[in-house]
Amino acid sequence: MRQLLGRDNVALTGSVIGLASVLFGWLTLRPNRLAEGTPLSLWDGLGWGNAAVIVLLWLLCLVLSLSLKGKLKPILLGVTANMVLVVSLLMAGMAATGLLEVEPDSSRVSLGVGIWLTIAAAYIVIYASRQKLKELPLWQHLVSWTGLAILIALIFNGLLDSLSLMQELNGREARFLQELQQHVFLFGISVTIGSLIGIPLGIWANRSRRAERPVFFIANITQTIPSLALFGLIIAPLSALTMALPFLREIGIRGIGTAPALIALVVYSLLPIVRNTFVGLRQVDPAVIDAGAGMGMSRFQVFRRVKLPLAAPLVAEGVRIASVQAVGLTTVAALIGAGGLGFFVFQGLAQAAPDLIILGTLPIIALALIVDAVMRVIVRLVTPKGTGGQ
Amino acid sequence: MIHLQHLVKDYGRTRAVDDLSLEVTAGEVCVLIGPSGCGKTTTLRMINRLIEPSSGHILIDDQDISQIKPERLRLSIGYAIQSVGLFPHMTVATNIAVVPKLLNWEKEATSQRVEELLRLVGLDPGEFGHKYPGQLSGGQAQRVGVARALAADPPILLMDEPFGAVDPLTRERLQYQFARIQQELKKTVILVTHDLNEAIRLADRIAIMSAGKLVQYDTPETILSRPANKFVHDFVGTDRALKRLSRIGVEGFVKPANPVAITDSISKIAAVIGRQPSAWVVNGDGRLLGWIDRKSLAQASSASQVLVAQTADEVAISRGATLHEALSLMLGQGVKSVPVVDEQERLIGEVSLSDVEAATVETEA
Ligand SMILES: Nc1ncnc2c1ncn2[C@@H]1O[C@H](COP(=O)(O)OP(=O)(O)O)[C@@H](O)[C@H]1O
Ligand SMILES: [Mg+2]
Repeated sequence: MRQLLGRDNVALTGSVIGLASVLFGWLTLRPNRLAEGTPLSLWDGLGWGNAAVIVLLWLLCLVLSLSLKGKLKPILLGVTANMVLVVSLLMAGMAATGLLEVEPDSSRVSLGVGIWLTIAAAYIVIYASRQKLKELPLWQHLVSWTGLAILIALIFNGLLDSLSLMQELNGREARFLQELQQHVFLFGISVTIGSLIGIPLGIWANRSRRAERPVFFIANITQTIPSLALFGLIIAPLSALTMALPFLREIGIRGIGTAPALIALVVYSLLPIVRNTFVGLRQVDPAVIDAGAGMGMSRFQVFRRVKLPLAAPLVAEGVRIASVQAVGLTTVAALIGAGGLGFFVFQGLAQAAPDLIILGTLPIIALALIVDAVMRVIVRLVTPKGTGGQ
Repeated sequence: MIHLQHLVKDYGRTRAVDDLSLEVTAGEVCVLIGPSGCGKTTTLRMINRLIEPSSGHILIDDQDISQIKPERLRLSIGYAIQSVGLFPHMTVATNIAVVPKLLNWEKEATSQRVEELLRLVGLDPGEFGHKYPGQLSGGQAQRVGVARALAADPPILLMDEPFGAVDPLTRERLQYQFARIQQELKKTVILVTHDLNEAIRLADRIAIMSAGKLVQYDTPETILSRPANKFVHDFVGTDRALKRLSRIGVEGFVKPANPVAITDSISKIAAVIGRQPSAWVVNGDGRLLGWIDRKSLAQASSASQVLVAQTADEVAISRGATLHEALSLMLGQGVKSVPVVDEQERLIGEVSLSDVEAATVETEA
């Protein structure tokens, strides 16, 4: 019976969480941006009609995840989850506009636990539907990104402007763009430099047995130092260095700011890149290398035509891991004055302004997802035909 | 001509090759054989300078190879190994074209050569040229490995257990095919194996090694009839008369098999079988399907009802097989004759035990 109905456990979990989310506070009304607020339930916040729409959409997800078989099931599930996502935020935005008209000027309307749960639940269902759509890449992409794209469109059209989150952005747009740029700059440059250093180091460790141990010793040690400590550790010697060598200061290198942040981020990106390059080269079948050499390829030709193409997917995978990790770590850079989206996170923490924290966090999560998706495409592009199976 | 002079190779305190001297005549197959770890691979790899000798010299056509740049030397020596080592990210055609490309051949000439070689090793260029190594069976990969080694028509071929990693029937076919190719191409071949029957079958001369030393270097006939010492005697074993059968192909002993077709009527089958106990059954194309017992015919209404289905892999030998293989199959299956099939598994006849016995007596004499 269960087989016949084709239950999808992941989608089911998502739907149950989604249904449960309607029991939590959906919006939070605060007298001002820092004060504690009062939670409003789904029906008090959005009104009965809107609440019913959301509950019905979640019920639909629940039924879909328990019934139906075949390709239509994940498509319908994915579409419904995207609708929940868009509808609940749009309704929240409109409800906030309504509330602000009657409440005092300094009031804020924040998103409550319930709506965050609904967003998380929607993405669980979307994830489940993605997994089932591997043979239909177009639908897979549509299901994955449509909701997000519509939300971004809503934001640009001002439909969510009444939410406290967007009001935090209001008046900070320039700063937000600047810190977003700085964030991308910091992790982009550091992973680039990390690759330029890490890939040759991995090649060297693979080539010379004597290099292998020290290279990994250093790469491993850096990884065990907590990130905050490493950022801190770099400040002191770099300050001393700039004192000793004034020309460094003239070109803008100081003990705090961009330079130490970049150094720390580069150091962190090294281990995954070095490790994957090393492993990628080592897993090449020795018989293949022997055949290449035995046929008359020079050492460089064996490397260039045989080892490198066969190691490339793992090297790219290392860069992917380093990139996703760097997007997150760059947040900490704000603490030593290097800026980036962490700026809002730590300012929000200092002011106890939750929506400001979220303003910093959301784009970091989005960046991590985008970087991950882009790097996965690159990994696939560098995987030679005839290898890898899928 | 290849001339090994007092070759020594030490790995720390182990002497892998110990004062080895050997002359390989141009156009001949020299098989290096001996127990595992006796230094065969080490010797072979010194000839294309993948390993440098601790002392001693190797001359190819009177030129000391230590004077030739290793890459240049290797481009003129074909190299095939047991694990094949096909490049997994290149198609079969690209794999074979590696050395021609290193030698900057014209594109047109290269692709013509690739097709020619694929045909030579019995693979259809249209079907296999664009496949990746991961899509090949073990036997097909080995053939591509041999084709790749032959790509630039090198005068010398080094082969390290090239037919080692495949099942016995495939190995037998590959050996047959190699013997045929060698008859045509007349390369100077040094082939490493640990299979004495393979050595006896393929070698013009066999070099038996033990603990890094050359123990005896002679024609297969001499090795079998006059082993130089106790080691060779023991290595060759007591069944020397049987081993000699490895030099004799079955082709001279194949007799018509009188098969019946699966579509024949029972009465026709009964007529063909006559007084024999059984008959081989083939399909419309002549492919072997199995056999029929005369006694089972009585109650049958069609041939397929009483067919004992058996594939050629299980019961037949290829026409390139040796009497030794025919005999082992007979003994293994407890039968008095085995069917012989061609490359498409079509039945071409059978070999009987009495003929093999006669051959044994002849070679003994
Ligand atoms: N790279 C190496 N380092 C140390 N010892 C080796 C090395 N290669 C081979 N040997 C040793 O040399 C001997 C001969 O090896 P090899 O030529 O591979 O034997 P075979 O091919 O006859 O089985 C063996 O005892 C083996 O352990
Ligand atoms: Mg060996």
